[in-house]
Amino acid sequence: MYVHRPDGPTCAPPAALAPSPPVLAGRRIGILDNRKPNANVLLNRLADRLARRTGAEVTLVEVKNAAVPCEDQVLGRLVEEVELVLTGTAD
Amino acid sequence: MSVDTADLLEIPDDGDVTASLAVHGWGDGLPVIAPTPERVAEMLSGCGGTDPDEVVAVLPPRFGEASRQTIAVSAVMAGCRPEHLPVVVSAVRALARPELNLRGVNATTHCVAPLLVVHGEVARTAGYNSGLGAFGPGNRANAATGRAVRLILLHVAGATPGDGDASTQGGPAKYGYCVAENLDASPWAGYAPSVGVDSPSAITVHCGEAPHNVHDMESDHPARILDKVASAMATTAQNNACISQGEYLVALCPEHAATCARAGWSRRDVSSYLFQQARLPAGELTRAFGLRAWAPWMEYLDDDTPTPMTAHPGNIRILVVGGAGKHSSVIPSWGMTRSVTLPVEP
Repeated sequence: MYVHRPDGPTCAPPAALAPSPPVLAGRRIGILDNRKPNANVLLNRLADRLARRTGAEVTLVEVKNAAVPCEDQVLGRLVEEVELVLTGTAD
Repeated sequence: MSVDTADLLEIPDDGDVTASLAVHGWGDGLPVIAPTPERVAEMLSGCGGTDPDEVVAVLPPRFGEASRQTIAVSAVMAGCRPEHLPVVVSAVRALARPELNLRGVNATTHCVAPLLVVHGEVARTAGYNSGLGAFGPGNRANAATGRAVRLILLHVAGATPGDGDASTQGGPAKYGYCVAENLDASPWAGYAPSVGVDSPSAITVHCGEAPHNVHDMESDHPARILDKVASAMATTAQNNACISQGEYLVALCPEHAATCARAGWSRRDVSSYLFQQARLPAGELTRAFGLRAWAPWMEYLDDDTPTPMTAHPGNIRILVVGGAGKHSSVIPSWGMTRSVTLPVEP
């Protein structure tokens, strides 16, 4: 018996990740805090250590709420100010 | 209709269809009907002469393209009849509206599920239950339509537990959550026109929790009934408590609605009363939630100030559901989502 696949095709996601740079030294790094509980604890510590170990310039940015996409204004600031972004913590 | 052989899968004629599809990660755990080309073609007849290959929505997080045909495949699996397909297609359109925030709805650890509310002519012609036991069980249209939308979320949107749906505990409403508005028993005009959708048939998708029951067997005045509804709303034990844009869908039973209407209360009067009564002291809310998504003015309230559970009375949506008896329900939204009402169109 033949049946239809129920999943169907996918379209390309609206954005793809840029390739990661081979070294962090001297880079401008953005830390995007999604405001999940304790995200700031982890990300602040990460920012401190990155800055000390690599000499990178680290910028901390917050989104308004983890449940909605990052605001265009915040993304625009990151595009202007940094070369790579670290983010992504859950509950 | 184009039947691409790449869309087809061969499974054993005498085998377990559900198991054969589950190998690929498809299905919701319950037995399914095999989506054969003949059954899918028959299902598509429910959408008349529309293009089966037209993509009506792209659904995150998988970014799956939901064409009418893809939707029809899950509708067959769920047990829908062709007359249900336009409702399912319209629900999928609503799911893709940005204000509904489907990516968040699918990704959250909360137990949110899309509640479908069917309004108008199609509820009668396609056999949806708006009366006794409307939330289930026992009615094929309600059960199969709700299930079809969940299967589409699993198959097309990729909202599979773990990978695409992070819900900590899941929830029974995630198997299917569909009901019809009881217009015949409603003392007020239909819900859809009240939100600007003046169509013979419409559907509302409200992403929320399971119904919170409110019973009042004895009151002959709206306030005594609605104070209990307000009590169900005014709790820190729901997602809306820290999100001021959150909506509450209040499904009044016909008898509670009649009591309100006999006293001269309109739908808007009911919303306004609940906005006034459903409150908690600001201090109780701020002690409960360090992280809040509140309207700015709410952050400046004194601890003792009674604080509304949502920032605007228009966020409290009233409609009539159910049959004889005196049980209503409150369905808080997930919070970071807005309900969407659209005409039912194939």
